Amino acid sequence: MSYHFGRGWSKLIPYLLLLPGLLFYFLIALGPSIATAFYSFTDATGIKGAPVHWIGFENYREFLFMGRASVDNLEALKRTLIFSVAVTFIQFGLGLFVALIVNQNLKGSNIFRTIYFMPVILGVVIQGLMWSLFLYPLGGPAAKLLSLLGLRSEFLGGPPAQAFAWVIFIQIWANMGITMMIFLAGLQTIPSELYEAARIDGANTWQLFANVTWPLLTPSVNTNLLLNIIGSLQAWQLFLVLVGYRNGTQVLGYLIYATGFGQTSGSVTSSFRQGYAAAASIVLFLLVLVIGMTVQYYLQRREARILG
Amino acid sequence: MSKKLLSLLSLLVVFATLLAACGSPAAPTAAPSGGGDTAPAQPAGKVTLRVLVHQNPPMVAFMEEFNKKFQEKHPNIVVDMSVVNANDLSTVSQTRLSANDIDVLDIFGFSNAAQPYMKQVDPPNWQQLIEAGLLMDLTGQDFLKYYDESALKDAGSYNGKVYAVNLGRVSYSGIYYNKKLFEQYNLKVPTTWSELVTACETFKAAGIPCMTAGGKDGWPIFVGAYGLIGSMYPDQAALVEGLWTGKIKWNDEKSLEMWQKMQVYARDMMEEGASGIAGDAAPGRFASGAVAMFPGGTWYAPAIEAAQPDFDWGYIPFPGSDNPEDNKYLFGKYDQGWAIAANTPNKEAALLYLAEFSDPANYQAFVNAVGFIPTQPTAQLNTKIGAEVAPYLANFRVGYEQYWVAPKGAGQFANPWASYFKPFGTDDDPKALADKVQADLQAGLDAVNK
Repeated sequence: MSYHFGRGWSKLIPYLLLLPGLLFYFLIALGPSIATAFYSFTDATGIKGAPVHWIGFENYREFLFMGRASVDNLEALKRTLIFSVAVTFIQFGLGLFVALIVNQNLKGSNIFRTIYFMPVILGVVIQGLMWSLFLYPLGGPAAKLLSLLGLRSEFLGGPPAQAFAWVIFIQIWANMGITMMIFLAGLQTIPSELYEAARIDGANTWQLFANVTWPLLTPSVNTNLLLNIIGSLQAWQLFLVLVGYRNGTQVLGYLIYATGFGQTSGSVTSSFRQGYAAAASIVLFLLVLVIGMTVQYYLQRREARILG
Repeated sequence: MSKKLLSLLSLLVVFATLLAACGSPAAPTAAPSGGGDTAPAQPAGKVTLRVLVHQNPPMVAFMEEFNKKFQEKHPNIVVDMSVVNANDLSTVSQTRLSANDIDVLDIFGFSNAAQPYMKQVDPPNWQQLIEAGLLMDLTGQDFLKYYDESALKDAGSYNGKVYAVNLGRVSYSGIYYNKKLFEQYNLKVPTTWSELVTACETFKAAGIPCMTAGGKDGWPIFVGAYGLIGSMYPDQAALVEGLWTGKIKWNDEKSLEMWQKMQVYARDMMEEGASGIAGDAAPGRFASGAVAMFPGGTWYAPAIEAAQPDFDWGYIPFPGSDNPEDNKYLFGKYDQGWAIAANTPNKEAALLYLAEFSDPANYQAFVNAVGFIPTQPTAQLNTKIGAEVAPYLANFRVGYEQYWVAPKGAGQFANPWASYFKPFGTDDDPKALADKVQADLQAGLDAVNK
């Protein structure tokens, strides 16, 4: 449907109506992003009134090439990619599997849908608190279960790889509900006649999934993949709540937060380095952009191939 | 609706949005800098005073009580106090000061200042805040007369002006011990490393965990061992200079002994599961009698007493050396202080708040509540922790982390932290860890010296 606004000034009305929203977008989203790009070339501290000097690519040089810290930063980058790949694929697979199950005409399927979705609405702090209590090494439920097998663990406070694996698990638990709901919405748009026709043609369960469900779920697959990839690349709040700033567990998002707000050295008087953190943010942005665009390109081609 | 009217309405919406976007609240008048002894005046009208403090349960409890009395005395002032985790204090201070959303703030003693031998280091956050004009110059305020000059100078001054009133020193290099358990197992209170090892072995053999700490917060695990570093390097300022200039290395012979002891501390002395205990919960666990010792700061004493008032405990410097003479020091820092936002619109109320707090009777009550070593010469630490630390106060020294500033480019392991060892970290070879720590530090030193 299109509206006709006549001639002269009236033609401008649609644009004027769009303007408030555009201004809001510039102020809230695009403006800060452009400012971040600008600040990445400065020694800004983030403190109101503090002088800001243009230092060119110095922050980038420090982040990517200076001493051992740059190697640690690249390690964090690598860890971010591992986190993203693990979270994306496991969450995607589990979300699809659970959506297929709760989409069946089962008794109480609505209750299961609610239970699986519930972690999403809890918020990161509550999620973190719940799991910190569950994984409390001195007599928490998980510790008691392990002790039945004669085992023990420090869980989140143990070796970094172990803590990192727990954060992956909790991130998936926390967000799998969204993936499930998107798939569920997709599944419910598939006409039942297609399944009936395929069954009449002799298709078994796997063939129904591979030839009817999977191709017609393409829009949901694309949405979920993109949301999972971008969300996991930017994730950092659960790291803050569950393990804090610990060597061997930082991902790029948390590194940026900790650097920007002076929490990297273990000292309460660390300096504020927002210019440096901005440079790290741009590196993360470029990473998300390259991966996001590549995946988007591939997914669009796939969608066109399957759905025409 | 006619098209003209629609056009007009659209334009109005656009202009309203533009005005909303471009408008900004009027900037408050900056407070004039201090000068001359002045007593604060009463604020003219009704005032809400926004106060920020960090989470320290006995201190927060005291402040709530103090605020109540302050409001009763000054009914035109309402105190709106926010409490944040200590790790987040600097972040919240920065953002709320920048947003002009705070009047009085809790600020840790000034430390980590750049020294002449340090290259390319950024100034600490307190210095950044002062240089940006966000903290009020308190020089000349009448209430400053109650405080030690040295405390004002060392923990709250910059370029000859006072920007913060420090409220007390704390030691973090001591160990709380359970007197009853030591008596029960006929153990002498350890004054040497060997005696400490023997005590821990005895407790462990009896099925009693030797030490606990609030490892969930990260730093309590390694801060407990700062006394160990102190017994090796009693002059901590010289240690920092030595590390920067290359005269001391984290993998030299002396430091290697420190790493070996840290491994024993992390692996054998600390109880299993300590990594899951929150910082606030650790004093309660110690007070329950479940563990024999608790390495930690003097600020935990009120929480231990509150958890179990009848519990009998003592406090000793961490015996990191086999020579008792090396173990007579307590290392620590200047803890909480008060500062005022330079742009506060509630200057009178803020100054009144600090003046009221600094009144010797109120300050004494504060010290009693939180267990700080006082910075007012007339105040006495007449609490249990006061009596425990009294023999060592002559040997109180500012600790390593108050001087240390890492060179840019240094790796993430360039710190003397016991938590690198298993089960909290991944290392189990002191020599390999010492080499890794020194290599991470050296990478930074090489980068800034290029």
